[in-house]
Amino acid sequence: MAENIGEQPKEQRAKDLAAELKSKKAQLKQCDRQVAMVFDLNKCLGCQTCTIACKTLWTRDEGMEYMWWATVNTQPGKGTPKDWEQMGGGFRGEEPRAGQLPTKRDFGEAWDFNYDEVFYGGKGNAAHLKPSGNPDWGPNWDEDQGGGKYPNSFYFYLPRICNHCTNPACLEACPRNAIYKRKEDGIVLISQDRCKGYRFCMEACPYKKIYFNHVAQKSQKCIFCYPRVEKGVAPACARQCPGRLRFVGFLDDEAGPIHKLVYKWKVALPLHPDRGTQPNVYYVPPISPPRIDEQGNLDLTKPRIPTEYLKFLFGEEVVPALEILNAEMAKTKTGGKSEILDTLIAYEWKSLLGPFTTDPSTIAPRST
Amino acid sequence: MQCTKLIAAAEELLDPAAPAWAGVPAEQLAMAATPLANQPSEYIKASRDEKLIGKCHSLSVQAAHNGKDMFFRLSWGDDSQNADEAVDTNMFPDGCGILLPIGAGDSPIEEMGSQAAPVNAWFWRANYKQDEARNSVAHGLGTTEFSKTSPIRARGAWQQGVWTVVFTRPLSVPELQAEAVQLEPGKAVKVGFAVWDGGSGERAGVKSFSKEWRELALEA
Repeated sequence: MAENIGEQPKEQRAKDLAAELKSKKAQLKQCDRQVAMVFDLNKCLGCQTCTIACKTLWTRDEGMEYMWWATVNTQPGKGTPKDWEQMGGGFRGEEPRAGQLPTKRDFGEAWDFNYDEVFYGGKGNAAHLKPSGNPDWGPNWDEDQGGGKYPNSFYFYLPRICNHCTNPACLEACPRNAIYKRKEDGIVLISQDRCKGYRFCMEACPYKKIYFNHVAQKSQKCIFCYPRVEKGVAPACARQCPGRLRFVGFLDDEAGPIHKLVYKWKVALPLHPDRGTQPNVYYVPPISPPRIDEQGNLDLTKPRIPTEYLKFLFGEEVVPALEILNAEMAKTKTGGKSEILDTLIAYEWKSLLGPFTTDPSTIAPRST
Repeated sequence: MQCTKLIAAAEELLDPAAPAWAGVPAEQLAMAATPLANQPSEYIKASRDEKLIGKCHSLSVQAAHNGKDMFFRLSWGDDSQNADEAVDTNMFPDGCGILLPIGAGDSPIEEMGSQAAPVNAWFWRANYKQDEARNSVAHGLGTTEFSKTSPIRARGAWQQGVWTVVFTRPLSVPELQAEAVQLEPGKAVKVGFAVWDGGSGERAGVKSFSKEWRELALEA
């Protein structure tokens, strides 16, 4: 009896603490508007211009060598960090799901090259440029390997950034309430003042898009180029994309391409929606070339990219999305017009960038 | 718990192996996992098992002062030395901490104090620079803030499966009235302790702690 009496207030206190926590987290998640991106996978050429645009802008400092806030990987593939899709995290229903901490090796450490030897050591004819230490993994190691068997082999590119989720697993996980969504645009940020480098966010993120800076002892990730966005400039990965596949804008802008692609036409889908975080990066799934049968003829009845694989990535909704895209393609083949395809083609470059069309060269540089 | 008065210089006692420590009585404290229900993160609650938290089960504590400076010497068993956080993203350093209420309020130890009754935490982690320790103040779970400057020094040594860490700080730190406890010979304060086993991924609130406040009487 005495034990029960002692336990009761403790249980009540635990409930009160949980309720307090829930209300605090709800505050941190709240935002008035949400920026979003749509990536058209049918246009990505895997050139890594986005990757480099981001790297040169944000992750050049010491401690950030291994960070690639924007990545492009070949699918099917292990991705970056290696096998991230098997590392857990996110939510099962409302319950957070345990995740793993990727290692630097999983991400692929930055390699050192023998530049001095090759370029300045007088051995230019004998020495070859090579990384030291025989690396066996890197952030784009399995490039262009893909899947399937000849003549039905296939691959496509999957660019990824932080998904700036509506229900961020990282925000939920942080015991210091250091992670929040900006009220004005829903960008998810890690307060570098509040962060103590505990890395529960890294564990909890099902997309493994958070990195740990060993010099600053802080967790860091894609910031949706918020200093650019604030000045009407699109994020660097989107503005510099030669394939013109990255749409940027506000999700609630009904006249904009993002709202139409996601809600009206339903051809842009979040990656791994089953992880429960409600990402705000959406993908137009890749349209398959036809299969080739044993006689070497086109088999139009089956797609080259297995539908099951696309369902694994984008959920069941990928089936109707591809049906719509294929029907629109068929329409244009017979001379018809397709507003969906015209939108995706983006004849006018700036139509991709929503309200963020300002030329960055017209903006005063940041004071450092 | 007694805080013995010694005649010894701070530099001498800061050495965990200093012979002077042999004359200071040690108290063995039972340590336990911090309650999972108090973790300020639903993710931590869902992903951890309370039975597996708190690798340190027993902590030896010695306390002394020399009329000017306060000293704590903490010692606990840990088979693996985890000192260098920079090794990898999934590695964490060992560490320990001392918790003292600021002021006379009723600070809950298992909730890191409260808005009305803050606590002062002294932190040492195995990857800190030589003699570095941090001073912080907390007003409840997940609210710990480091002070801009720390009057605390600490030195740790790991030998044959045992960590020994000495903390020292001036008894009185008038420049940190709101962020630190003021100590005085002849008076008593409440004190608690925490240990993190970095090798088991312990960090933040995932740690072992001394469960309840102990009264620490500073010898006059």
